Amino acid sequence: MIRALVAGGIVAILLGWLGSFIVTRNMSFVGDGIAHASLAGIALALLVGWATLPTAIVFAIIIAIGIYVLQHKTPISSDMAIAILFTTGLAIGVILLHLSSGYQPELMSYLFGNILTVSTQDVITIVSASCIILVLLAFTYHKILFTTFDPDGAYLAGVTPWKYDIMLYIVTAIAVVLSIKIVGIVLVSALLVTPSAISKLFATSFASFTFFSVVLSFVTVFVGLLLSYYLNVPSGATIILTGTSIFIVSSIFVGIRKKLV
Amino acid sequence: MKKDYIIVNNLTHTYGDFVALNNISFGVKKGDIAAIIGPNGSGKTTLLKHIVGLCDTKKDVIRIGGKHPKDMRKHIGYVPQHFTFDRTIPITVQEFMALESCAKIEHECKNIKKALRAVGMQKFARQKLGTLSGGQFQRVMIARALLHEKDILVFDEPATGIDVAGEQTIYDLMKHINKERGSTCIIVSHDLSIVSSYVNTVICINKTLVCQGSPEKVITPKKLKALFGAATGVYHSH
Repeated sequence: MIRALVAGGIVAILLGWLGSFIVTRNMSFVGDGIAHASLAGIALALLVGWATLPTAIVFAIIIAIGIYVLQHKTPISSDMAIAILFTTGLAIGVILLHLSSGYQPELMSYLFGNILTVSTQDVITIVSASCIILVLLAFTYHKILFTTFDPDGAYLAGVTPWKYDIMLYIVTAIAVVLSIKIVGIVLVSALLVTPSAISKLFATSFASFTFFSVVLSFVTVFVGLLLSYYLNVPSGATIILTGTSIFIVSSIFVGIRKKLV
Repeated sequence: MKKDYIIVNNLTHTYGDFVALNNISFGVKKGDIAAIIGPNGSGKTTLLKHIVGLCDTKKDVIRIGGKHPKDMRKHIGYVPQHFTFDRTIPITVQEFMALESCAKIEHECKNIKKALRAVGMQKFARQKLGTLSGGQFQRVMIARALLHEKDILVFDEPATGIDVAGEQTIYDLMKHINKERGSTCIIVSHDLSIVSSYVNTVICINKTLVCQGSPEKVITPKKLKALFGAATGVYHSH
């Protein structure tokens, strides 16, 4: 449980921060696409006996770059690019799993999250990779924000937008894979989006929007994990339902406040 | 006689089979205020995008101070004709202005306040960008372009959505900056009375260069009819 809380906490901070950019760029389904497509990487690792997280990360990065290239270098729209690669990755994963002999019990924990499967090695990988990404985001925050909001303006100011775009796609891919063991492939994209959606209801500036996204993501994961542990239910679903509950309560609160003002 | 600072030399731009600009050549001197006028679809915005370095311009087709536009882009303040953004994103005016230097608001506070005051938007610094009217947002875009004393200011229809008094403020400000800093200004405007009052060179285009010269020589009924295809005149209030 402690391992899950540590890993979940750091991943929550990462996804909360990334989520503020993802939502602003309308990239909500990119996270979903990458998560589903990474099943191929996980299946490959299970088949050949490689370490699961690093293999899935490499595969997810390839998918993320593929989505970016299709969106920007071809007439294909964002949703089409995600649909093509998401289903292709999923299909490859299904084939590879079929080639693996016998039942794969750990597959369910990757699909839906299972805090009991978070090993010490997983915690080390998740925490160290997350810290590197958080430092990178801290150093490049303003440039990512500029290219997010005004790519032409950023270019004219001397920034190279495509570098930060690609970087954002790659770190999103890594962050999504890091959170798969906690939240699961099927539901991880909700953790990118829901805290930011809640934050948007209250935020009065982009700085507060980012701050609340991070805090809400952390609270969602922390409370969700505790509930999952004590109620003995899948962690991924519990975390997402916790987030959704906070969203519903927040929306009602904001609605009531608007009527009273 | 002053040499041309911005030189456009046989610029052609196509969107697939559609020719947007066809062999345009002209020059703008340093410190001039130039207006580009022409009917809708004449290639004005495409031309401006080439000048500021947003298009892939071949070498030596456009030179600014002897350099390619991409090498001069940091010296250019640009206000585009259209700027689309998600109005639900909670970014404030001052956060948006601070993007220009990729800096924290605290580091740019003084410059931001000065630029917003110049366009009459100082009270809106902490307001969310999405809550501004079209005209208010346009003023913020202009303020952002003025933030760091750029050598060249390029405004694509800067008065869009701005009321009459505001329009006067914008162009008076542009003239003041041109006089104080010597900034070269290029504007696209459909308001011929503004063009004749504020600029010292007019460039008429309709996919190709139709004419260029001082407002007195260019803004004549005959030349305007040749450019717009309809009888057009400028009425001055006294």
